[in-house]
Amino acid sequence: MLHVAGRPLLYRTINMLRDSGFSEVFLVIGPKGDKVKEYFGNGENLDISLSYVFQKKQDGIGDALLQAEKWINPGEHFLLVYSDVVTDENIFASVLQSFGVSNVPVAGIVLPTQSSAFGNVYMDKNMGITKIVENPAGKGTGNYVLGGVFVLPYAFFSYLKKVNGNMTKALASLISNEGLKASIWEKGWIDIGYPWDILSANRMIMDTWKTSSVHQNIVVKDAKLKGPVFIEEGVEIRSGAIIQGPSFIGRGSYIGNNVLIRKYSSLGPESTVGFGVELKNCVLFGKSRIGRLSFIGDSVIGMNVDIGSGTMTINCNIDKAVVKTKINRTELNTGMSKLGAFVGDNSVLGCGHNLKPGSIIKNGVVVPHHLTFPKEVR
Amino acid sequence: MCGISGVVSSQNVVSRLQSGIQNLEYRGYDSCGMAVLNGSGTVVRKNIGYVAEVAEREKFSSLTGSVGIAHTRWATHGGVTQQNAHPHLSCDGRIAIVHNGIISNYLKLKKYLEGQKHVFTSETDSEVVAHLIEEYVNNGRTIEAAFVEALRELEGSFAIALVSVNDPNRIYCAKHESPLIIGLGENENYVGSDFNAFIEHTKSSVILDDGEFAIVSNEGYSVKKIKNGEPVLKKVTIIEWDAEMAKKGGFPHFMLKEIHEQPDSVANVLAIEEKKIVELARMIVEAKHSYLVGVGTTYYAALFGQYQFAELAGIMAPAVSSDEALESAPMSEGDFILAVSQSGETYDTLRVLRTAKKNRVKTAAIVNVIGSTMSRMVDIAVMQGSGPEICVISTKVAIAQMVSLMRVAIEAGVITKKISQAKKREYMKQLGSLPELIGTFLNENSAFIHNLATRQAHQNNWLFLGRGKYYPMALEAALKVKEVAYHHAEGMPAGFLKHGTIALIDEKIRTMVFLPPESDKGLYGMIMSSIEEVNARGGSIVGIHFSKSLKNSKLFSDQLCLPKTHPFIAPIITLVAAQLYSYFVATALGRNVDKPRALAKSVTVA
Repeated sequence: MLHVAGRPLLYRTINMLRDSGFSEVFLVIGPKGDKVKEYFGNGENLDISLSYVFQKKQDGIGDALLQAEKWINPGEHFLLVYSDVVTDENIFASVLQSFGVSNVPVAGIVLPTQSSAFGNVYMDKNMGITKIVENPAGKGTGNYVLGGVFVLPYAFFSYLKKVNGNMTKALASLISNEGLKASIWEKGWIDIGYPWDILSANRMIMDTWKTSSVHQNIVVKDAKLKGPVFIEEGVEIRSGAIIQGPSFIGRGSYIGNNVLIRKYSSLGPESTVGFGVELKNCVLFGKSRIGRLSFIGDSVIGMNVDIGSGTMTINCNIDKAVVKTKINRTELNTGMSKLGAFVGDNSVLGCGHNLKPGSIIKNGVVVPHHLTFPKEVR
Repeated sequence: MCGISGVVSSQNVVSRLQSGIQNLEYRGYDSCGMAVLNGSGTVVRKNIGYVAEVAEREKFSSLTGSVGIAHTRWATHGGVTQQNAHPHLSCDGRIAIVHNGIISNYLKLKKYLEGQKHVFTSETDSEVVAHLIEEYVNNGRTIEAAFVEALRELEGSFAIALVSVNDPNRIYCAKHESPLIIGLGENENYVGSDFNAFIEHTKSSVILDDGEFAIVSNEGYSVKKIKNGEPVLKKVTIIEWDAEMAKKGGFPHFMLKEIHEQPDSVANVLAIEEKKIVELARMIVEAKHSYLVGVGTTYYAALFGQYQFAELAGIMAPAVSSDEALESAPMSEGDFILAVSQSGETYDTLRVLRTAKKNRVKTAAIVNVIGSTMSRMVDIAVMQGSGPEICVISTKVAIAQMVSLMRVAIEAGVITKKISQAKKREYMKQLGSLPELIGTFLNENSAFIHNLATRQAHQNNWLFLGRGKYYPMALEAALKVKEVAYHHAEGMPAGFLKHGTIALIDEKIRTMVFLPPESDKGLYGMIMSSIEEVNARGGSIVGIHFSKSLKNSKLFSDQLCLPKTHPFIAPIITLVAAQLYSYFVATALGRNVDKPRALAKSVTVA
């Protein structure tokens, strides 16, 4: 599960759904969805009813949606939400309003920094969508794009079935049969497609924080807090630590002596941060340990990661050029001039490593200590 | 577009009818009226003006009645007069109707009805509905049967509401291609063009579909098909949204809505009959001196016109800002004034026209609001037909005015023989492609412009430069940024820069330059030298251009590359981009887009 601003992404989504008046949410989860079920349960804690269905093979949005058909009654409309979309305010309320006004199916649309990666929308002066062009590579268009939030009729399932679950084709039949109205979302919107999008989303959400929240049951002595900070129950902060907001420190975390936590740092529950560590613009999902005298900046650290003492995430190129990285052997331009490392769940990094800007370390990787003497440790 | 409101109750409905049409004024506001049924019959009060004005003048508050319909009008057929305002009555005054839409076969129906001795009191298409129903009633049908029979005769688009003393406890209504919905209250029900008509009273509604009619009483409603009278089971929709949003058709602001309506407002200008355009062109060609007069955005539209007349017709027709015209433009018999105005009520421009008339100077106007003072006082009024523009910042109306002036300039060029018929056809073809071009442009470039605006939103000190016909565009673009983003932006001819203003260039001031397509060789070369001048002094330039070859150019610190466009219409595309740019800067800064501080839609004071 992806975490931003101290919470799983889905936590925010489900809360916003409840706040816009939904009482029932159906989650289509993939092979690794157990964790989601474990975390949210039946939704009691969030005052909403949650049910789950497993999608055996991750075979696209259309297929995922078809798994949910049994929950929707003929004649009803339902809200379809992509779980990797993050907004700074409640997009669902806005899409519902558009549905209310037009009484025809609605798609939330946004203006992204790069339109080409998404479904490009063409609309008429009445905001009726006339066509959707998926990933128009090379055409260089700057369209509004689908924002991953829809109000759809039950009949949409039959359109989907006719085209083997192809979402774009099913939307095309919806447009020609019933119409699809656009609902323009002008506030913040991020689709988490790449690891560094987590940092942008984290920042976008933390920018909405106006006040601090510090649980009464924490241990803190001679530490400095500045700006909106969110500190949960059972956190221990040792003397000399400085925490600059907006930042989040999850339940049961330990912040050692002389730690510097800079803006936009999000530490999930039970994080342990050793003496003299500097954290900056980074997301730690939780249960990870950062050894003493390390620097973690512009980075994302998964769940239950162990980072040895004296680890440096180098967060910019020496010529200040935009950081490039490789995912599955494809070189990608991240568009970020400052970017550190991405470390997957359950990985272990030995002491003393310097991580190249844009490094990606997968889940469960073990990297031995970096030793200068003796050369071989094993 | 017009607005319909209706209420059927056991209480007095007059104040609710009035607030109903007041809430629909965004659909049109040139005249309004209402009809209520009371013990003595059908009482109609109507006149020209905003709802609040008419309500006071016609003393709506003195009316009583438990069933009534009301209407706020935006004229399409027939001028803005008291007679043409709705509701319309049948000859015997027993039937009153309001209508939104266009009855395309009304002339045929009217002729038939006049043959049956019906007397018409208005020039509207709508009035035939009242008489047609009356005709069927006179032939022995019930109101319902007569209503349905009449509906079957109508061609075109309509939303209609009817009250009649023959059946005094019901409202009859019908919908075909114009919106109409029913609101369900407690012991009273409503009809309206949209739910703004009754949102203050109920959130339950029934949305009529095309080809349906409904009979609404205070206790209930029934919906049937016009075609065969079959009952239709309708779903009740609970309205849970904000009324403002519906007025904007789902757009976040009127400004964005109106920018997206520009394909239509241009198409409407292209549909203006050629005879009228030629008449205007002839007046300009034949006058001793012609002046183009406007103020604010309309002055920039006029200035754009000046360049068009020079280029296409070889005529000098200077644009004069109407607030300065009396001091700078001496007028005498044989001269000609062409005024440009959205509202037709602009004080400064009216003042110029009044003086002109006193001096026996011929006058004409390109104006949006039918029935406005200006449209009535000039010798020729060209109605641009852009529909209501609600956002205080003018977008669709301004572009429509510019295209109107292009058309007049083309005709003037034909008269002065500066351009051939073949050339005219080519220009008209380019203009004809504009509506679709603007639509595609908006669809395919919004994100690029949004990204540029987001990057530049915090720069608050600007020079906007253009040469030739891009100079008025630079002025208008700068005005948009000033009006809606509250940033300092100074429009200027690019060649003017080096004669003084260039002293301002430093790292704190940004320069936006509007480039023509490269094929516009003369202008393109000249603007390039201005760009060099700014760069040479360490300035930072945002380039708005049409050249793919400049995409990675070091000339600009930021840029927007517009799609390849014919040079004749390229300035219009530039302006659409600038409108969107100012909109996105304003939204990024959280400005009050539709009602910027200190501005009013029409400036009717000195």
